[in-house]
Amino acid sequence: MERRKLESAALFLTIFGAMLIMPPLVLLFNATTRVFGVPTEVIYLFVVWLALIVATRWFSQRLPQEVPADEKPEEQG
Amino acid sequence: MLSADFVIATAVGYVGLLFLIAYVGDRRASTSSGGLLRSPFVYTLAISVYCTSWTFYGAVGSAARNGLEYLAIYLGPTLVFVGWWFVLRKLVRISHNQRLTSVADLLSSRFGKSSRLAVLVTVIAVIGIAPYIALQLKAVTSSIQAVAGASEFGRGSLAGVDEVGLALGVAAAMALFTILFGTRNVDAKEQHHGVVAAIAFEAVVKLAALIAVGCFVIYAGGGFEAIFSRAEAQGVDIYSSETFGNRWIAMNVLSVAAILCLPRQFQITVVENSDENHLRTASWAFPAYLLLMSLFTLPVALFGITTMAPGSNPDMYVLTLPLAAGQEGLALFAFIGGFSSATSMIIVEAIALSIMVSNHIVMPIALRTTRGLGESDGKGVSRLLLMSRRFSIAVILFLGFFYFYMTRDSDALAPIGLISFAGVAQFLPAILAALFWREASVKGATAAVAVGFVVWAWSMFLPSFGTSSTAVAALMAEGPWGISWLRPEALFGLDGLDPLVHSVFWSLFLNTTTLVVVSLLTTQSTLERLQATLFVDVFRRTGRSAPNFIRGSATANDLFFVAQRVLGEKRARALFEGVPLDGEAPGREFIGRLERELAGSIGAASSHVMLSKVVSGEAVSLEEVMQMADETQQAIEYSQELEQTSSELRSTARQLEEANEQLRELDLQKDEFLSQVSHEVRTPMTSIRSFSEILLEEDRLAPEEQRRFVSTIHQESLRLTKLLDEILDLSALERGERGWNNVPTDVEAALTRAIEVCDGLARQRGIRVEIGPRATAATVNGEADRLCQVLINLISNAIKYNDAADPVVQIRSTTGKQYHTIEIADNGPGIAPRDRRRVFDKFWRGNPMGGDGSPAGVGLGLAISRQIVARMDGSLELAPSRRGACFRLKLPLSPAIVEKA
Repeated sequence: MERRKLESAALFLTIFGAMLIMPPLVLLFNATTRVFGVPTEVIYLFVVWLALIVATRWFSQRLPQEVPADEKPEEQG
Repeated sequence: MLSADFVIATAVGYVGLLFLIAYVGDRRASTSSGGLLRSPFVYTLAISVYCTSWTFYGAVGSAARNGLEYLAIYLGPTLVFVGWWFVLRKLVRISHNQRLTSVADLLSSRFGKSSRLAVLVTVIAVIGIAPYIALQLKAVTSSIQAVAGASEFGRGSLAGVDEVGLALGVAAAMALFTILFGTRNVDAKEQHHGVVAAIAFEAVVKLAALIAVGCFVIYAGGGFEAIFSRAEAQGVDIYSSETFGNRWIAMNVLSVAAILCLPRQFQITVVENSDENHLRTASWAFPAYLLLMSLFTLPVALFGITTMAPGSNPDMYVLTLPLAAGQEGLALFAFIGGFSSATSMIIVEAIALSIMVSNHIVMPIALRTTRGLGESDGKGVSRLLLMSRRFSIAVILFLGFFYFYMTRDSDALAPIGLISFAGVAQFLPAILAALFWREASVKGATAAVAVGFVVWAWSMFLPSFGTSSTAVAALMAEGPWGISWLRPEALFGLDGLDPLVHSVFWSLFLNTTTLVVVSLLTTQSTLERLQATLFVDVFRRTGRSAPNFIRGSATANDLFFVAQRVLGEKRARALFEGVPLDGEAPGREFIGRLERELAGSIGAASSHVMLSKVVSGEAVSLEEVMQMADETQQAIEYSQELEQTSSELRSTARQLEEANEQLRELDLQKDEFLSQVSHEVRTPMTSIRSFSEILLEEDRLAPEEQRRFVSTIHQESLRLTKLLDEILDLSALERGERGWNNVPTDVEAALTRAIEVCDGLARQRGIRVEIGPRATAATVNGEADRLCQVLINLISNAIKYNDAADPVVQIRSTTGKQYHTIEIADNGPGIAPRDRRRVFDKFWRGNPMGGDGSPAGVGLGLAISRQIVARMDGSLELAPSRRGACFRLKLPLSPAIVEKA
């Protein structure tokens, strides 16, 4: 993906991530049901969390590397 | 068995280990390039200072009381790190460029290096963090007491010491510890590599301890499913049905704000960052750390509720569950984990706050009140900085203890932490505006932070004393002086909301509104505008030469003296390397760099004031800055003008090119015409020459043959004459040389004449001429003879080239309102579609031979006809026809006639 698209995708990941953990979307999973013995919304929140981590890792390796030419990490004497 | 003394001894031993790590870390950072110390994972672990005893102990308590709510504290920071590319990266880049030292420095620097704003932010931070430090003291105190209470050796040396005394002892020890730890030297960049290494180590310890307790609980409880089922059976609401409401949203907002605004988070994430790319790793690794930290929180809380005696403190489950099960080793580990999380928070927070206090409050006062700071040994400023930092650390810890003392009756940990979160969240609107909104002004930011702080202090900070103070309790019930709409937890009559949501809403709403409105109503100073551009457009700038405002009139020696006083001998020498100390005043660029270096130690505002003072108060006037800006503006305008000129030139060049193209085409047409004419002339000339040669050379020709040759020569010369006549005629018509006199002419009379002329030819060819419906009489402007010539040409063409079995030529005419139209059609071969456009070209011949095999005309007839018709303002065209060709001649009626009609 080209740079601009990558940046947009990273922005939308953040926005959608926020929407997924906020009402009303989170209320979809707030039922008195259980998955593997654990309440559904607990599983849901942790799965969204994990997905965000994986996606962010994917992006962090692809977003352009740019160290400003004149701003290299300096040594302290 | 564990005893309080043993536990305290372990904690002291642990602190010793931390010292060792910090010492080694500092040594390695100064000797080598850092290696492991500069790894992005150490950076990530250090950021995990976000997880304090609130996370270690308080989250379980929060989960036991309010279900899933505790997760909001970790999901907010996760979102900030998921979006690292947009906010954190910008913060880090700006901080590197501007040598920022704290959150107060960020806001002060962005808003015109305002000292007032820096002081305000520092004061708010110190007050806002007090509850947070109290939380740590409370957690450490409670954990020691939990161990002591369960111990069969009783309280050991703690006998006779109550909770408050214990907390005071912890606070004093922590203050000493932090002073020894963090204020050994003043680093130019405010980076503490040793501290970071120790914090990273602590992050590993607390994570390991929490996971160990979690695994123990899962094992003891018989797995996730059993723990949840048992809790449900005992009537615990495991489905968190009330969780996702206003409070959930407010807590998410607060945690987003906290990860950006908390002084210790800013210190670690932004100031201690040595490489922008470390954020890349932290972006996913820090959320992953948070996830691991909160994985077992809910099961531990539920297991605690179901197995522990009613009334036991849920905040201490992490410690009391292993103790109750007799797992002493695990309990000790848990205690060290909790101790770890508390110490790391206190160390970094106190260091960060003390830097803010010394840079933004102590330094400016010292600069204003004294003239020659440490003139004798040149180390006065350094010492002043260190002393003020040590003193502020003690004050900050004492404030924390004071808050703890005032609110010692409250039980839960998490609500105390949320008070601090809401306090520092008041910086969020100003920080976001600093990064993204160019128009935000210092007045707007100052007013916004102040308004947010006042609303927060009134609606959240004050009510937290409600349990210990009857005056506060009465105020909360009645409102000040009985004004009910000013009640702290029901401002403006907004009643019935959760107090947290209420306070967060009003403070942030009024804060943001003030920021926007005041910024729109005030104007920025020049320095503010420049700083705003440096911040907002940080990724657009190529060079890093920030404009500097100190005129280069001070001698290098003066400046060296200043640098030496702040940075110390060694760093000052390094900075002034290559600058002659007794020579000319150093250039602006150097002074700008010096100002930034100093800012790294004492903050932007102080550094600015200091340098201005040293060069005898001659700050570069704003006029000069404006002039610089003007010069830039002029350069931009000039380049735009150049661009415009060059685009005009481009368009002219294009027009010339087009004209050239047209000329070349005309030239080509001329060449073509000439070659066609030569060809046409050459054919008859060749035959005339060859026949006359025969006549000249052959004497014995029969007389009739001679006659035949002579007649051929005659015919050919006639044709040649005709051709030349027509060419001359055409060229004269085209150039408009010949006098032309349009007079009212009866077009029908001309048509009749033309039909009569062609009658003979038609009879000779056996062609029927059908005269269709004809108009009676029509007058047009033209020349009768020329018009007749055109009509004869058209009719004779129709006759000559008609090879149909039953050849017919039809002639019709009609008179419309403005035009007279004559159509001459035949049923001959017609004109091929591809030739229709070329019919009127010069020398075009549809069929090289006439219908009867006789040579055709020269191919100029139609071209001449069209020229003549054009002269009479009419048109001659090929009308669409089903069979054969149909020429249509349209002539405008004479105006006089049109009027009459």
